Amino acid sequence: MTYAETIMSEKPSGTIRHVAVDTEPDARPKDAFRVIEAIRRGESVEPAMTETLRNCDAVIDIDTFRLWYGQAQAIHNVSMKIPRGQVTALIGPSGCGKSTLLRSINRMNDLVGGVRVEGKISLNDSPIYAPDVDVIELRKRLGMVFQKPNPFPMSIFENVVYPLRIDGEKRRSVLEDACERSLKAAAIWDEAKDRLKESALGLSGGQQQRLCIARAIVAEPEVLLLDEPCSALDPIATLRIEELIGQIAERYTVLIVTHNMQQAARVSQNTAFMYLGRLVEYGPTADIFQKPVLPETEQYVTGRFG
Amino acid sequence: MVWLTGGALVACLVMIVGLVSMIVINGMRTYWPGPIELVTMDSGEVFLGIPTDADEENARTLYRTGNRDLGREPFRWVDLADVASVERPEDAILLERETWSIWLGVPEQAIEIDASGERVVVAQGSGEVMDYIAANHGAARARRAEIERLKKHELGGIHGRIEAQRLRVRQAELALERVGAERAVMPGAVFALVIVGMVACAIAGRTLGARASYTSRWPRLARVGLYALAGAGAMAVFLHGPWKSAGMTEAKLAVMRADAAEIEADLDVQYEELLAEVRSMEAVDARQRLVVVEPTEGRFAPVRQIEPDEPILLSQIVRVVDPNRMGLGAKLGVYGSRWGEFLTAPPRAANTEGGVLPVIVGTVMLTLLLTITVTPLGVIAALYLREYAKQGVITSVIRIAVNNLAGVPSIVYGVFGLGFFCYTVGRYVDAGPVQSMRLPPVWWWGTVGICLLTLLGSFACAVWSKPIPGTDPSRKQVFLRRVATIGWFVTFFLAVLLIARTPFFSGFFEARAADGSPTFGGRGMLWASLTLALLTLPVVIVSTEEAIAAVPNSMREGSYGCGASKWQTLRRIVLPGALPGILTGSILAMARGAGEVAPLMLVGAVKVNLDLPMSTEAPFLHLDRSFMHLGFHIYDLGFQSPDSQAARPLVWTTTLLLLAIVLSLNLVAVVIRAKLRARLSGPTV
Repeated sequence: MTYAETIMSEKPSGTIRHVAVDTEPDARPKDAFRVIEAIRRGESVEPAMTETLRNCDAVIDIDTFRLWYGQAQAIHNVSMKIPRGQVTALIGPSGCGKSTLLRSINRMNDLVGGVRVEGKISLNDSPIYAPDVDVIELRKRLGMVFQKPNPFPMSIFENVVYPLRIDGEKRRSVLEDACERSLKAAAIWDEAKDRLKESALGLSGGQQQRLCIARAIVAEPEVLLLDEPCSALDPIATLRIEELIGQIAERYTVLIVTHNMQQAARVSQNTAFMYLGRLVEYGPTADIFQKPVLPETEQYVTGRFG
Repeated sequence: MVWLTGGALVACLVMIVGLVSMIVINGMRTYWPGPIELVTMDSGEVFLGIPTDADEENARTLYRTGNRDLGREPFRWVDLADVASVERPEDAILLERETWSIWLGVPEQAIEIDASGERVVVAQGSGEVMDYIAANHGAARARRAEIERLKKHELGGIHGRIEAQRLRVRQAELALERVGAERAVMPGAVFALVIVGMVACAIAGRTLGARASYTSRWPRLARVGLYALAGAGAMAVFLHGPWKSAGMTEAKLAVMRADAAEIEADLDVQYEELLAEVRSMEAVDARQRLVVVEPTEGRFAPVRQIEPDEPILLSQIVRVVDPNRMGLGAKLGVYGSRWGEFLTAPPRAANTEGGVLPVIVGTVMLTLLLTITVTPLGVIAALYLREYAKQGVITSVIRIAVNNLAGVPSIVYGVFGLGFFCYTVGRYVDAGPVQSMRLPPVWWWGTVGICLLTLLGSFACAVWSKPIPGTDPSRKQVFLRRVATIGWFVTFFLAVLLIARTPFFSGFFEARAADGSPTFGGRGMLWASLTLALLTLPVVIVSTEEAIAAVPNSMREGSYGCGASKWQTLRRIVLPGALPGILTGSILAMARGAGEVAPLMLVGAVKVNLDLPMSTEAPFLHLDRSFMHLGFHIYDLGFQSPDSQAARPLVWTTTLLLLAIVLSLNLVAVVIRAKLRARLSGPTV
């Protein structure tokens, strides 16, 4: 039995119980936390998702994805499609699995011992967890920016061209062009152009994070994964990064995990709300923040819960 | 509590400062020229001496009287009660001689022996003699140095070349004895086939390897198999090489003998010519003499002890000091020149005089070699332990074992080094495995085959035991992994066996070993540095592990996120980040290694070896030579010296030098580390 067959033959854990979604406005107070309560009891719920997102042109297609850290299940049956050329935000309270889901897309979770996955994720129709996938090649197709700025202890230039260097690119002119293009795209060229030879650790936090974005896009990835990119930054640096995400989104598909509801509202076109490892509601950002389907979502985005 | 902790710190500091200042003070004052006193005793005895120590309690003074060739003690305690008078005669001088230590006396005549053997007095009286010395001493010393150089380098070089010819013939004789015993001749066609097969295997292995994945693991196995085959082919070609297959024959040996005899005859002529030149220079050298008379018995300094009536040669005198007449400037000059000699000249008079240049070279080279050896070894071991090994009981046990190794008494390493490196590995390098250890070729090739099989088998088990990422290994895979581990051990054991019992290797210095003079099979620089490397390995492993662990995980994640492989991440991110810590480990290892003496006494440090372990003659680094070491030199001066009173101040000076060398080596490393740190971290962080 092949790996794929193994996955297909196994039943998802727990039975899916369809929770009726109540759309009557006056019914809300009564059933306010029905979905959340169900999730807390460990039951599966059908997420509220708009039809357009169900059938969109997906760069990343997540299909009944499940993940365990040892015995503990961190992600339960998440299925969603990340539309091409848009910014999609993952929100939810701490520990809801949004970072884990993001890191599953470039298989960073492989680095953690005792992680087990089931289900399917595909990137531009090529499965990520198929047995013959070269993880290294896969990661090269995705750019990732982390919570804390993590420039390498080398010069700014070397930082930016690092993905090209490990790919074996040695031609100076190619590296220099890529570096300039990438730094300009990450809106840090003006600050960094005169100090490319200096250590990247001498930059401020916000500059470092923009440098990391430059590094993430230098190899022209298919998707840019941002894992709470502003949580370690001050408000002004945050603002600049948000502007930058807006600019980058013109050329790349962006998937961003954030704690900050306003940020999600400002930068993204679609928002997914997760809770305890399950997808609760997924729709266009405007809808999620102004007229969400579920009362829980409204409670969460307005800061009354979570 | 503040007082207690502060007090403890102060106590430590006082001890350290006390130790260092004692060494510095005693070490610095050794070479200061003290006054020469003419002591007249109540009994009427007169002698010249330099006061070196005073015993206030018993009212006595220790005088250094020198003049050992008269059969007197060179040091003498004098009760002040017995002394009639003490004066400091202006014309008393101190001769520092090449042999028999110092001579104290008054210069009376300078003599030149003319061609007919007549002694002609060229200077009379103290002043004139001193002027004569000033005018001629430099030239005489230079001539003597030239004679020494001719003897050692030119004559020694010719001698070495004659010896090389002899060894070449001896080597050929040994090869002739072996011919036919094990070297089967491989026909040319088989040869060509093996080479073609080898190249094909290597190319096929290269192309196949790229196709491996988790679904098809055969290419990986095939690649290793092909590489192993290519390696075995290369080994066969090398061992049965066509350039050897003809072997040594009687006819060839005869030609070689005749050739060697001709060269030797040539060299003999050169040797005689050179020797004549040296003899004539020595004759010139023997002409200039000094008569320096001591007051007790009225004897002058002899040319050597058994010829008391021949006055000393001018060129035998290293330095003439007249401290009673000297001003501060002149004394400083003598002080400086003595330090200069100490640092740049080889020792003489059983190490009690002269310099310590070979000792410095030996110590510095040993320390550098050990650092160069231990750092990569320790870093690689630590990398595996921290980054690749599965953390568990076994790694913990290994860590504890490594830490405990640091606590093993160093003499134990010395014993191990002597037994393993010098006598086992060294003799193997010299002459190959001993006759009884050699397997018959058929058996040996059979073992090569088994070794290849176990290699492939364990590699296959290892490849198939890897689970798909994101899943747990199945029971079968766990089993395969264990089999693979056992297989690796068996392969390693077989490989060691193959090397240790090969019938095809007869060492690199067979002829010398057959003469009973080992090259690497004895104590030497190489084995000493390897022993010390082993000794300091735990330090490097521990500090490297800490340094690697201290590299933030965010950096690794960033690198993996960019699509870097594990090795790329290690090489480009982890190792550079850990470099300062690794250097700290090397510095600690260096400091520990430079201070070790006990193991060196077993594996290579000797009392005197003026042949430096590095030279301008090929092969430049003579790692087979034994060497002098400062730590051992201090012990030797203090406890093994024939003139221990005279050597005592040198103990301080040498200790001071050892401290200075260790300090400066560390300083260099610290500066390098600081530079690296500055480069790695930015200006603001």
